[in-house]
Amino acid sequence: MTGAAWPAERPPHADREHAPPAETGRLGMWIFIGSEVLFFGGLFVAYLYGRTHWPQGFAAAGRHTDVVLGTLNTGLLLTSSAVVALAVACSEHLAHRRFVARLLWLTAALGVAFLVVKGLEYRHEWQEALFPGPGFPVDVPGAQLFFVLYFLTTGLHAVHLVIGIAGIAALAWGSAHARRWAAPRHVDAMALYWHFVDVVWIFLYPLLYLVERHS
Amino acid sequence: MNDTRFKRHALQLLLAWLALLALMFASLGSAYLSLGIGNAIAGIAIAVVKSAIVLLLFMGLARASAMVRIVAATALGTWLLLVALSGVDYATRPHEPAAFQTPRQLPSLGPTQVQR
Repeated sequence: MTGAAWPAERPPHADREHAPPAETGRLGMWIFIGSEVLFFGGLFVAYLYGRTHWPQGFAAAGRHTDVVLGTLNTGLLLTSSAVVALAVACSEHLAHRRFVARLLWLTAALGVAFLVVKGLEYRHEWQEALFPGPGFPVDVPGAQLFFVLYFLTTGLHAVHLVIGIAGIAALAWGSAHARRWAAPRHVDAMALYWHFVDVVWIFLYPLLYLVERHS
Repeated sequence: MNDTRFKRHALQLLLAWLALLALMFASLGSAYLSLGIGNAIAGIAIAVVKSAIVLLLFMGLARASAMVRIVAATALGTWLLLVALSGVDYATRPHEPAAFQTPRQLPSLGPTQVQR
């Protein structure tokens, strides 16, 4: 085949079907995750500063978080990550591609269950007046700072999770209806985001729920 | 991905999920032992192992290209650099309690303040 013959042999729909290399979406999501690491990272530094400067306050406040619901939510998120990883594996295997939509719906449902549990937790904390401000029940310096960081980090995490649920649910619908925009490489990129949100929670769990439990 | 590789990968994911749950319960259990500073260290160490499992197996960093690994390492390195630089500031600055950290909230506005 000569170089001159090549354009004529090109199928007419070649441009329309042109897709970027498989790596592009994954690399783009990793760069975005890099910026998110610095976004959440600043809050972790704030926590480190608070905990090292007001250890008694953080210990007294830390005992007021709900360790049962916190552990349940950790289990839900870890399970959702495993499910979405299985969805990605199925999307790369032609014979198992029919399971992708169902696994993505399951992932989104686990995310919704997490938000429901988180909402119950917030309700308990509101009823116990643990929201920082006048009438805060823990009278130790630094205790309110712990709850400022608690609501800030878990709130921002929940916002990220809502975005993740919307993205995963859209891809689940798209996969079930064989839409082109729900291609395996898009599922792969969205799954990376989901795992990142899970990793943030993995670190929040010991920092917010496991402080001074033994005393 | 062929059938054998898919099965092996799925088994890996299952084992990773079980390991993550086991580590979560180990972390929970360690919090109820009186270890002093060891409690915080155990919590963070287990979180690091759990996130390593998620990063390497679920996020595929173990089989990713060099470019993706460089991006991930750069993000982590930049964050650690910022932690170290912030730490230098906070470790050398005198620690004075802020007004809102006093045991009580600020007193309500009395007549003297209202007159002003």
